[in-house]
Amino acid sequence: MKRFEYFEPKTLEEAATLLAGGAQALAGGTDLLVEMRERLREVGCVANLKKIPDLATLSYGKEGLRIGALVTAREVELWPFVEEFFPSLRQAVHELGSIQVRNRATIVGNICRASPSADTIPPLVADGAQVKTTMRVIPLEDFFTGPGKTVLKPGELVTEILVPPPPAGTKKVYIKHGRRKAMELSTVGVAVTRLPNEVHIALGAVAPTVIRVRAAEKISDPEKAAETAAAECKPISNVRASADYRREMVRVLVKRALQMT
Amino acid sequence: MPVIGKSVRRPDVLGKVTGGARYAGDLALPGMLHAKLKRCDVAHANIKRIDASKALRHPGVKAVLTHEDVPRVLHFGSPHPRSASLACDQYILDRKVRYWGEAVAAVAAESEEIADEALDLIDVEYEELPAALTVEQAVAPGAPMIHERRDNLVVDPVTVKRGDVEKGFAQADLIVEGTFELGRPTPAYMEPNVCLCRWEEDGRLTAWISTQTPFMVRGILAEVLGVPLSKVRVLVDHMGGGFGAKQDLFQTEFLCALLAKQTRRPVRLEFTRKETFLGGRSRHPGTVWLKQGFRKDGTITARQAKVTFNSGAYASHGPGVTAVGTAALTSLYRCDNLLLEGKCVYTNTPIAGAYRGYGVVQTYYALDIQMDEAAERLGIDPCLLKLKNAVREGDIAPSNHPIVGHGLEDCIRRGMQEVNWNAPKPGKYRGWGMGCEMHGSSAYPGIKEQGNATVRLSEDGSAQLFTGTTGLGTGAHTALAQIVAEELGLEFEDVSVVHGDTDVVPWDIGAFASHTTYMGGRAAQMAAEQVKKQLLEVAAEKLEASAADLEIQSGEVRIKGADKKLSVKKVVSPTRGMPSKQFIASATYTPTKSYSFAAHFVEVQVDGETGQIDILQVVPVHELGKIIHPVAAAGQIEGGIQQGIGHTLTEDYVVDLKTGRSLNAGFVDYKMPLSLDMPPIRTIMLETAPDPGGPFGAKGVGEDPIIAIGPAIANAVYAATGVRLRHYPISPEDVLKGLREKR
Amino acid sequence: MKMALTINGEKRELEVEPYRSLLDVLRNDAGLTGTKKGCDVGDCGACTVIMNGKPVNACLVLGVEADASTVTTIEGLGKDGLHPLQEAFIEHGGAQCGFCTPGMLMMAKALLDEIPKPTEEQVRFAIAGNICRCTGYTKIVEAILHASNR
Repeated sequence: MKRFEYFEPKTLEEAATLLAGGAQALAGGTDLLVEMRERLREVGCVANLKKIPDLATLSYGKEGLRIGALVTAREVELWPFVEEFFPSLRQAVHELGSIQVRNRATIVGNICRASPSADTIPPLVADGAQVKTTMRVIPLEDFFTGPGKTVLKPGELVTEILVPPPPAGTKKVYIKHGRRKAMELSTVGVAVTRLPNEVHIALGAVAPTVIRVRAAEKISDPEKAAETAAAECKPISNVRASADYRREMVRVLVKRALQMT
Repeated sequence: MPVIGKSVRRPDVLGKVTGGARYAGDLALPGMLHAKLKRCDVAHANIKRIDASKALRHPGVKAVLTHEDVPRVLHFGSPHPRSASLACDQYILDRKVRYWGEAVAAVAAESEEIADEALDLIDVEYEELPAALTVEQAVAPGAPMIHERRDNLVVDPVTVKRGDVEKGFAQADLIVEGTFELGRPTPAYMEPNVCLCRWEEDGRLTAWISTQTPFMVRGILAEVLGVPLSKVRVLVDHMGGGFGAKQDLFQTEFLCALLAKQTRRPVRLEFTRKETFLGGRSRHPGTVWLKQGFRKDGTITARQAKVTFNSGAYASHGPGVTAVGTAALTSLYRCDNLLLEGKCVYTNTPIAGAYRGYGVVQTYYALDIQMDEAAERLGIDPCLLKLKNAVREGDIAPSNHPIVGHGLEDCIRRGMQEVNWNAPKPGKYRGWGMGCEMHGSSAYPGIKEQGNATVRLSEDGSAQLFTGTTGLGTGAHTALAQIVAEELGLEFEDVSVVHGDTDVVPWDIGAFASHTTYMGGRAAQMAAEQVKKQLLEVAAEKLEASAADLEIQSGEVRIKGADKKLSVKKVVSPTRGMPSKQFIASATYTPTKSYSFAAHFVEVQVDGETGQIDILQVVPVHELGKIIHPVAAAGQIEGGIQQGIGHTLTEDYVVDLKTGRSLNAGFVDYKMPLSLDMPPIRTIMLETAPDPGGPFGAKGVGEDPIIAIGPAIANAVYAATGVRLRHYPISPEDVLKGLREKR
Repeated sequence: MKMALTINGEKRELEVEPYRSLLDVLRNDAGLTGTKKGCDVGDCGACTVIMNGKPVNACLVLGVEADASTVTTIEGLGKDGLHPLQEAFIEHGGAQCGFCTPGMLMMAKALLDEIPKPTEEQVRFAIAGNICRCTGYTKIVEAILHASNR
C-alpha cells in the first residue's frame, strides 16, 4: 500500500470540506483499506469520521429504526429490536464477513460502497428504508446508480439510515446464496418483506444495483412470482457464478422466500 | 512401547500458542530494507525496454534490479538433485515474460510503502507475443514457443508398459472409457513466502527462508550467485505451512540476496497474499483419459491412460509430477496389462509445482471414479469391486518394490463396517460414496533420497537429535524425538531436536514426499541405535554385566530381570558436569519406499433445486504401519481432507482465457472450506501392515488423505443424484445441469 | 503521529505513521510479532486481536485508530502460566504449523468471554473468519470446547 495523508475531522462540516477536496471517508475501514491494499483505488488522503459526535446512535421508536453512520454491523446484529422487527436485516448482517469484520464494518459504509452483492441492501430496500445525508433524504432504492456508484454529491455525507416500523403481522426473510457458509460475497441475495397488503421483493447480485422486482411482487402464486422475478433480473457471469445459474437461483430462492413468509 | 504411540506434548506448539514462535517474517535486523517485486501484466512478451531511473530517484529507494542487473544463469527452479527428467528453464529475471504476473524487477527501500510506490515508477515496454493459455493452444501446430521446444512439452513424454493391453481389452466383457478434467487448486498456506538475506563481513550469505528444502536451496543459491557452498547458510525456524509448494525458489531468494549485496544492508522480501498465487505454485491442472477392461466377475483385464498436465509457464516439478502421477496408475487396483502415457505441457499461465499428492490426486480421481462406473455397469457393489482388485502383499508397486501387507483391503473392510455400508440408506438426494488411494513415503525411485541424523548424549543424560528435516508444522520433529527416546530408552522430555541451520545439522534432502517420519525417523533411529550400543558398552563395564543383558528404560540402564541399575546420566558422566567421552553417532538412510493406504467414506446431501452439495460426514480409514503420535497423524488426515474437499468442490485458481490475467488471486474468490463448511470427521487409523523400512514399522501419512477424499465425494454425489461428474471442482451448477439432463 | 494505548495491560507510547495498520504497529513498533499477517485484507483472521473488548482484524484498523484503546494480543493471553485455551490447543492438537493459531486463540477467547459454554455450532460460527489450512478445524473445535468446560 502506498502512503496517504490522514485527517480526523471533528465536525460534519470539516468532513464535508475534506471529502469535497478529494479525501476518502473512513468509517469501518473494512472496504476502504482493502481496496487500497489491493490497488483497486488510489487514495491520497483519508478522513476518519469516527471523531465526529452523534453519528453512532442506534435507536428504535415510533419513527422506526435509526442506524447512525458509525453504527457497526455487529451492533445491529446483536440488538434485540433488530432481531424482532427487522429479522431479514439481521439475517443479512449475521452472514456479513466474519465477527471480526462486523465489529468494524458499518451498515452505512456497506451501503455507500454500493456493491450490487452487498448483503444489507436487499433487506433494507424491501423494508422501504431511507438514506439521510447532510443535504437530503433519499429512498434507499433510488440511492444507487450502478455498481459502486451512488447519487452522493462531492462533500455529501450519509448520517443515518431510517427504516419504517413494520405493521403487525409483517413477515421478513433474507436468503443469501453463496458457495460456502461464511466469508462469502453472495452470488444471489433475496429479501422478501410481506406486509399485510403487499409484498416487497428485493434482489442483490443480479443487476447493476439492488432491484425491486415489482412485476413479480404483484403475483400471488410463489412459483409464478419467482419465474417473473427471474425474468426481471439482469445477472452477469463472473468468477463467482454464471448468469444462467444466477437467474435459476433467483427463481428457486424467491419461491422459497415467498413460501417462508 | 512407552513413547511410541503416545500423543506427547509437542514442544514446538508452546511457542505457537504464546506468540513466541519465530517465523522468518518475524525477524527484524538493524538497518533492514524492504523489497517488493514488480510484476508484469501481460501473458507472453519480450521486454523491449525497462527503465528504473525514476524509481531510483524516489526518496527512500536504495536499489532496483532488472534483468540487466542480475546474473544470467539458467537454473532448475525446483532445486532437487539433478536427474534426467528435470528441466532447467528459469533465469532470475529474463528478457521475456511467460505468464501474467511474472516478476520483472525488484526494489529495495526503507519501507514497504516506499517500495510499493517505486513499483509504479518503473517503466516497462513490452513487445507482446501471442500466448498459449490452454494446453490445446500450446500443442496446436504453429503455437507460440514458450521455451525452447516447438511442441511446448516440458520434457519428453513418459510411457509405462506392462503386459499387452490389446489382448487385455480383447478379454474384457465390459470396457469403460472416460476423460477427466482437473482444475487448479493451490496450497494457500497461511504464511506467505518470505525471505530475509544478510551478507556478513566475511562474504558469507545468511538467508532466513520459509522453505522445506534448506540444503537444496543453499546449493542452488551458491551455484547461481557464484558463491562457494560453504559461504551460504540457510536458516529455517518455524514455517507456516508449505504442502510441497515451498520446495522451489521463487525468483525472490536470488533477488533478495542480490539486493542485500548491492545495498550492503539486510533485505526482507515478503509475498503479499496475492503474490502467493501469482508467484507461488499450484497443483497441475490437466486431463486424464482413462480406459479399462473388466471381466464379468469384476477382474480388471487392461488399463490404458493418457495423462496431460498443464505446467504453467515454467517446469518446476512438472516432470516429477507427471512421472509419479502416471506411474501411480500401474497400481492401487491390480492390472497386468497397462499402457500409460504422461506428458507435461507449457502454457502462459501461473506456474504449477509440487503440491501434496503430486500428480496422484489427479490420476486416482479418474481411476477411482471409473471403478465406480464399472461397478454400476457390472452390477457389483463398488466397495466389493474395489476390494476384489485392491493391490495386496507381493504385488509390485510403482516403485518396483513388492507391497507389504494387506493395508488397502483392511481399510476398505473396516470402513464398510464402520458406516454400515450394506444397510439401506435413507433420503432423497442423499448418498454415500467411497474412494481409495495409496501413496509412497519417499520419492524413490524418481529421486534417490537421503536422510541423515546425528544423535548425541549430554552430560546430564539427555539426548540431542540433529536432523536436517525441516519443520513444516506437521509435528514431525516431535515424532523423530519420540523415535529417539524409544530407541534409547529415555523419557520423551529428555530428547531435544536441533534443526533448521544448514551450518549445524546434517544434510537432508528436505521435508516432502511424506517421508519425514519414514526417512528422517529411520535415520534418527539408526543413529540412536549406535549411541545406545556405545552407552551399553560403557554401562556393561560399570554394572559388571554383558551388554546383551542390559536394557534402558526411563533413563535408567538396568540388568534385565535384576535390581542393579545405573542412570544414563551416571553412565555418560560419572564425574559431575563432564562427560566421560562423547557419546555420538551419525546415520544415513537411503530408503526405497513404503506405501500407506486409505479408504474414505463420505455421505453427502444435495439440494435438488440449487445443486449445492453438503458433506454430512467423512469416515477416513488409513493404514499407517505404526502410529508414532496419534493426534499428529489424525491432524494430517483431517487437514488433508479440508484441502481435498476444497479442490473437489470450491477451489479453482483461474485465469482469463483471453488475457491470461489471474481472476481470483486472493481469499475473497479463491474459496477454501472454513469452520462452518467442514463436516464431522471420524478418523480411523490402522496399523495392520507395518513396513520394515520405517522406524518401528511406521510409514507416511501426509499426502494420503488429500487423494482419497476427492473420488469419495464425487462417488457420493453420484449415489445421491445419479449425476456422474468426471472433473473437479464440482460446482452446484454442474450438479443442476446433470439433474436436468437426466429428466 | 503520537499515540498512547494499553497493550496486554501495559501502557505504551508510540510514534507511528498514520498509514500503518495496527497489525504493523504491533509487529514493528511495539515489538509484538506474535500476531501474524496472513493476507492483510481481512480475509483470513490470522491478525485477530481484541480491541476494547471486541475481536477485530488488526490489518483493517489503522494504528492511530487504536489511540486511547485497550488491546490484547496473543502475548497477553496467558497471565500467570497458560490460559486454558492455550493448554487445550497443546493437548488436543489444535495447532500444526501455528500461523493461524494466535488469531484463532484470540477469537476463541473473545467467544468464551461472551459465551462461556458454547455449543459446537457456536464455536464454528465464531471462528468462521479464521482460516486454518493444516488442521481441518476438527481439533481446534475440540480444543475450544474442552477449554470451555474447565
